[in-house]
Parts: sequence; structure tokens; C-alpha cells
Amino acid sequence: MAREFDHLFKLLIIGDSGVGKSCLLLRFADNTFSGSYITTIGVDFKIRTLEINGERVKLQIWDTAGQERFRTITSTYYRGTHGVIVVYDVTNGESFANVKRWLHEIEQNCDVVNKVLVGNKNDCPSRKVVVTEDAQRFASQMNIPLFETSAKENINVEEMFLTITKMVLRSKLEMKERQNVTSNDTVNLKKNHKTKKKCC
Amino acid sequence: MSIGIILCQYGKDCQDQELTSLSGKLERNKYTDYLYSDQHFLMPLLRFEQSDLKCKNGCDYFGNPQWQGYCSKCHREQMSRQRRAEKASSATLPKPEQKKADHGLKLTARSSFSKFEEKRQRQSETLKKANLLKFTVFKKSSTDDHDHTPEKRPPEFKIPSMVNDGMKQDFRARFPNLPPQVDRDSRVFVHTFIMDVMKCASVMTVDELSERVQRQYQRFMKHMDTSQHFANVEPDTKEQLMDFVEKHAMTYLHDLPSIVFSPIGTDDERADRAMSERIQQLSWVGERHLECKLDRNSASCRQLLYKAISELLSMDSAASPGGKLRQVRRCCRHVLALCGRDGAPASADDLLPALIFTVLKANPPRLVSNINFVTRFCNAQRLMTGEGGYYFTNLCCAVSFIENLTAESLNMDKKEFDCYMAMPASIGGSSWAAALLLCGVEREANEQRAAAQKAREQLQDLQHRADRLAADSHSFEEQISKKVQDVLSKTPLEIKPRRELPRIGKLREISSTPLIDLDTSTSEDTRPLQDVTDSRQPSQSNGNAFIQDSQVEPQTQSSKPVTATEDTEKLNILGFEVIDKPSPTKSPQTIDQPWDLKQTSSLELLTPSPLGYTPFDSRSIDELMTPDEFGADHLAPGLGNINYDIDLSDFSGDNSIAEDAPKPEAKDPFSPDVLKKQMFDPFAPQPQPESLNSILEKFDEFSLTYTGNKTLDPFEIVHRGADPFSPPGFTGSLPQNSSRDPFSPVQNESTSILDHNESPTAASLLPSPLQPQSSEKPS
Repeated sequence: MAREFDHLFKLLIIGDSGVGKSCLLLRFADNTFSGSYITTIGVDFKIRTLEINGERVKLQIWDTAGQERFRTITSTYYRGTHGVIVVYDVTNGESFANVKRWLHEIEQNCDVVNKVLVGNKNDCPSRKVVVTEDAQRFASQMNIPLFETSAKENINVEEMFLTITKMVLRSKLEMKERQNVTSNDTVNLKKNHKTKKKCC
Repeated sequence: MSIGIILCQYGKDCQDQELTSLSGKLERNKYTDYLYSDQHFLMPLLRFEQSDLKCKNGCDYFGNPQWQGYCSKCHREQMSRQRRAEKASSATLPKPEQKKADHGLKLTARSSFSKFEEKRQRQSETLKKANLLKFTVFKKSSTDDHDHTPEKRPPEFKIPSMVNDGMKQDFRARFPNLPPQVDRDSRVFVHTFIMDVMKCASVMTVDELSERVQRQYQRFMKHMDTSQHFANVEPDTKEQLMDFVEKHAMTYLHDLPSIVFSPIGTDDERADRAMSERIQQLSWVGERHLECKLDRNSASCRQLLYKAISELLSMDSAASPGGKLRQVRRCCRHVLALCGRDGAPASADDLLPALIFTVLKANPPRLVSNINFVTRFCNAQRLMTGEGGYYFTNLCCAVSFIENLTAESLNMDKKEFDCYMAMPASIGGSSWAAALLLCGVEREANEQRAAAQKAREQLQDLQHRADRLAADSHSFEEQISKKVQDVLSKTPLEIKPRRELPRIGKLREISSTPLIDLDTSTSEDTRPLQDVTDSRQPSQSNGNAFIQDSQVEPQTQSSKPVTATEDTEKLNILGFEVIDKPSPTKSPQTIDQPWDLKQTSSLELLTPSPLGYTPFDSRSIDELMTPDEFGADHLAPGLGNINYDIDLSDFSGDNSIAEDAPKPEAKDPFSPDVLKKQMFDPFAPQPQPESLNSILEKFDEFSLTYTGNKTLDPFEIVHRGADPFSPPGFTGSLPQNSSRDPFSPVQNESTSILDHNESPTAASLLPSPLQPQSSEKPS
């Protein structure tokens, strides 16, 4: 079948407001940066197709509002999400402190989901507040890969998105295999059951 | 839980019972009053059993003839069932008695109250069915159910052909390249889908139903993947097909009350009202509270907001979840444009507040119901992915934000917030309301301007066309006038010959003095009076004469020699009369015979003239000859003419008189008449007049037909007027020549009188006999 993609994944970008979620998205989807560029409408909803291991993966990335007051209501965003990108601002300590809350939010709304931690605005060392070591320690503690990116300078953005996509794809394939296995099991069980019945 | 519902239901039933018993009592009171008032007459009525007055359903309450013998409750149930059956446009017929009863009630069926009633009824019934059937303790309701189930079910399951036809059309329009099996499959699916939903709606809770619907969608997806009908269908097209199917199934279901849209068992409606009230209360919330960068002084901003609001408001009118999603998407695009105006990337951080603000200002109707409808019954796959899903999710967030809005969420002081909330809703947000109103007015003005523009264009077009038409008509007029002139220049003949009066005068003089006198007198009389008729009279009469001439001549060929053209023409005139009506014409002919001498003389005189002026002479001859004859026959032809008129008009009463008169005359002169004809005929073949005749015929035929219409009515009148004259005229004049003279003046007088009275009638009335007059007139 001539389908333009094999998999469609929905990714969610969350994080405090002003950490550059939209810029990351824009950089990835359009390969542009909005600082000097008047964007086309509809940044929050972007689609890009990648090819990983010969499989075409369509990414659909939902931007979310990061304001504190909207936090309680964002649960609807999580429906059907395959992966979550948690973003903080390396120049803003508070945004990193809030990461914990965001991760908690994710846990509440989805059972199993792939996550990455992203420290954005990593382009001005002088203004950097969140040290890479602290962040790395926290990430490994939570078992989440960490990326320090810069949407402005286009550093690490592509890699970060590729990684999360691979993670999502892998987990999906694993799930499929598991499903196959379980379905086989059930078939066997059923058969046994039938023979039993016959015996009786 | 179910027991609780039952109790509620029971309570409701009890209420109904009370009501019905009350109405029953009232009914009985009325009845007894009636009985007392006319006791002696209505005594037999007392034989009515109590049971006769009871509800037909046997529910122990009193029935009412107005309710077809049911009690109020049963009747209402009956009604609602009927209505639902109609709605489903089922082929199944209700009970005959119900059918009769429903005639008067169909009119009211569309009222909102009945809708509400129906809904309530549905609710009670479904609950009953779901829960009550097992409990036979509540005897009444269970019996009701027994009554209902067999009738109610089938009508509900009929899907109107409209859905099917609509799908067919839409399919053809949207997927012209897909094979017909796909069309059929999708229709079959929609059919089963609707049936399934209808069946389950009454039994399942909304969430169960929603799940079932989702499973149906998946089933169709699977079908599309596996079925060979869909083997060649592109995946994109499959998605479109999915939407297509969903749209049609849901559009139908959406309009059915309480099935999928704000279904029973949910408090969607109440939530709608609550939400609407809350939004109204929050009308004071401005852009600064939500920290969205909106400038109400900017026209473009206002416009965008206005557009977004109107899109959001129209979400309610879309019937399918897909349609609603589309509206949301459009709305959000406008909102996004609103956010991204100043060049900065529009992000969700901006979008959500702006959307909230939009929702607050729009206050869309039935918002919660709409959102629930989409979340429950939209294809879940689409809700979770895609642009529409994203925006819808944002809308959901906005709505839940508004629901849970507190002072904190607006970053403001609790006291201030409470203050604002206590404020009457009408005060807050007036500035934005004004701004939006401005937008609305502006848009309206634009529309008006567009309409005006359009109207002006139309007007211009119209003007242009009118001008063109005027030009056309002008050119046409010119053409016509040119043609007329051409024709006139080619054939300038018509009028001249008639004016050759001197000859006529001579002829008259020569032919017979008394006649001349008569004629001249008549001509003098008629000329001034009938300017218009003058031209017509001769032509007509001549035409008649000529036509007849041509017809008669070949038939009757006799030996009468040269005599004169006059004679022939006279004969022709006579012949014309003869053909139309033989009896009156005979009389002049008989008269003619003795007057041969005169005629010949006149003819001799006349003959030279026709030779000289060919076309007109023939006419003039006609005219000329007539005076000669007239001199002799004057009375007789006039009388004959009158008779002829009578016959044409076919007025039986008049005819009787008319016929009487000529008959006696006819006996004697009849044979001579025939002879005369024979004598005249040989003359007719003369080449000159015939050829001329043929030309003239064409012309005269026209005039004949033309006058023919007018003549009919006047004939009658004239005839009556003439009647008194005719009997003496005939009797006297025909045998006696002398009687002509005395009579002729009378005749003239009569004609002149007629002329005075009605000039056209006179003209038409006296074609043949008056020819002499007409001939004179042209001069």
C-alpha cells in the first residue's frame, strides 16, 4: 500500500512557559527560528516525517501551554500520546525545578510513555544557570535521557527529536511483539480448552 | 442505583396518576352537569357503564373522547409513540384508530413543548425498559410496557430513505472514482450503525454507547482493510471514507433528540445552562486577566476575534462531529492568527489564553453538549491526532479552565475576584462587547455595501439593456417605416381610383335619377360621420364580392352575354349573399331582372373606365354598379342584407322573423334568380376583373377577417333595428319597383341613423347593400 508513512506518533512538548517549546518545535518542523522570522500560522501543531531504520515515521507534535494556571487542565493533551518532551530553560533555575512537577503530571496522566528531558537555550554559557551535571544526575535518576539544545543555534534539536522517535518506535515494536506472543498464548489456551471439553 | 431511578420514576408516575385522576374527576363533573341539564333527553345515556368512560388502555382512569378514549397519560404516550413513528417515517402503520386520531394533532407535533414531552416520555420509557421490566410489582407501568414494546420498536428502527439517498449523492460527489461496491458497503455500514445505536441507546449508558460506537468505527476500518472491495482504495481515501460514514451516520443521529446529542442520563443540558451562565458572569474577564496580547483598538485584531467567534458559534449548527471539529479548527486558526500578529511565533502559551478569551466572548450555545458529543462519538483516532484533534483538545482545556476558574487562575486578588463576580453580568466586558458589536456592525455594513454594489451593477445592467431595447425599438420602427414607405412607393394605388368621383357622379346621373338622389344623400350623410369606416366598407364589400365571384362563376355558367361588368359584379355581390344565405339574396336578383335595361346602360358607360384604370376601375366598377342596382333594389338589398345579418348572428328569435319575410318573396322570384345567375356567370370569367380580384382578394380577405370579429355583436343590434323595416321592405319592394323610391330614403335614413349611433357597426353591417354609399364616399 502506498502509504506515506508506516507509523504515526503523537509527541507532546511540555514545560514552563517561556522555555522555548515553540521555538524547538519550529526549529524541528520548519528548520527556522522565530527570533527574526515571521512564522506561518499554526506553530503549535506541527508534523514532520522521519525515516528510521527504513521505516517512515510521521511525527505529530503538540505544543502545550506552559503557564502555571493551565497545568491542571492539560490532562486532555495526554490522550493517545506516545512520547513526551519535557523542556526547561538552562538560564532559568525555576523552570528546571518545575520539571519534577511536570514529570509528576505525566505519570498521573499516562501509564507508560517515553520521555526526554531537554534543557533549551543552551547557547549562551554566561547566562547558563542550570549546570549540566545537576541535570544529568537528575535525568539518570529518573531514567530519562537528557539533551541540552539550542533552538536558536540549532544545536542538538534534530538529535533530540530523533532519539525520542526511536524510543517511541522501539517501544511500539516491542509492544506489538508482546501482543503477538500473548495472542498466541490465548490461542493455545483456547485449543486446550476445547479439547478438554471434548474429553468431557 | 437502579432502585433509586425506579423510585424516581415511580414518583413521577404517581404525579401523573394524580394529574390524570384529577382530570378524570373534572371530566366526570362535566359529564354529570351535562346529564342534569337535559335529564329527560339524555336518560338513555345513564346506561353507560363506568367502564365505558374509562381509559381504553384499561389503566383505571377516565378516558376522554378528545383523547380518543384514553386517559391523559395514555393518550400522551400514544401521541409520542405516534410522533416517533412519523419521525422515523416508517412504513409500518399504526392502529387505525390512532391514525384517525392523529390527524388533528399532527399540527401541534412540532411544537417545542411536544418535543420536550417526547423527551420526557422517552426517558421514562427507556428507564422502564432497562430497569422496570423485572419488577412486576409496579403493575401499571409494566402493563404499559407490554402495550408499547410491540408497536414502538419497529418504527424506531426504520431509517428514512433520505439518509440513504443523501449518502448516495454525496458519495458520487466526493468519490466519483470509487467502485459502487464501496458505496454500497458504506451505506450498509451506516444503516447497521444507526440501527445498532438506536437499539442500544435506550439500554446502554452514554459511555457504553460511546464505546460501542468507537468499536463500530474500528469495525469499519477493519472491514476496509480486509474487504476486497477496498483493495484498491488509497489509505487517505479510506480515512475520507471513514469521515464520510461517520458524518452521515452521526448527522442523522444528531437530530434525533436525546440519542447521542445531550443524551438522557447525562446532565449535559444542565451543564450547558450552567456554563452559559458562568460565561455570562465572567464577561468582565478581559485580555489583561488572561495575559493575552489583544488590542481592542486595532481593527485587524477585532476582525480576527470577530471571525473566530462567529466560527465558534457556528459549531453548534454543524451536525456531525467532523463538522463541529472543522468549525473549531477554523476558529482556532483565527485565534492563532490573532496571537501571531506581532511576528512572534504563536505558541500554545498564547493560543490557549486567546482561545479562552474567545470562548468567554462568544458564549457558544450548548457548548458542553457539543464538546461531549464530539468526544463521545467522534472517531477517537481523529480526536487524538491531527490538527482538528489538537484544537479541539485546546478548546476542551479552555472550557475546563473556565469551569474551574478562580482568582488564582487569573492571578488576581480573591477579594477583587469576588467583587467582580458579584457584579451584574451586564456591566462587565462592555468595552469588548462594544468593540465586537462594532465588528458586527462593520461586517454588516460591508455586506450591505456589497449588496448595494451588486444592486447597482444590476441596475446598470438593466439600464444598459433598457437602452439597447430602446435603440432596437427605434431601429425597428425605422425599418418598419422604411418598409412601409417602400411598399407604399411600390404600390401607391389604393386610394386614387376611388376618388374618381366625377365618373361615378356621371354614372349615377346617367343610370337613374332617383338612385342618384338617394346615393348622394347617403354619401353626404355618411361621409362626415364615417371617415374611418369609409375605407373599410368598400374594400370589404368588394372583397366579399370578388371572392364570391370567383367561386360562383365557375359553377354557374350561363348564356348571358356582355351586359356589363356591373351586372356581373352585382351578381357577385348577390352571389355572395346567395351563398351565405340564399333566401334574402333572391329578392334583389329578382328585382334585377326587370332592371336589365338600366344596368346595361350603366355598364356601357362604365366599361370604358375600368379599361383605363385597371385595378381601381374594377373596384370602382363594383361600386359603380351597386349604385345602379341600388337605385332599383335599394330597399331590397338593404333588406336582404339585414336578413343575411340575422342569419349570421344566428339568433333564433330574430331568425324566425327574418326567415318569414324572405320566404314568400323567394317563391316567385327564385327561378328568375337562378336564371340570372346563369346569365351573369359567363361574364365573370372576364380576365381583367378576375386577375384584379385575385390581387384584391388577398388584401380584402384580411380586411374581411379583421372586420369579422367586430361585426358579430353589432349585427344583432342592427338587425333588430332593421326588422321593423324589413317586412314591409321585402314585401313591398320586391314585387313593386315603385316601392323602391319611397323605401329607399327610409333605408338610407335607417342606415344613417345606424351610422350615427355606431359608425363601425354600420360599416360592418352593411357590406353588400351599402356598397354604393361607400363607393361614393371616397370621393
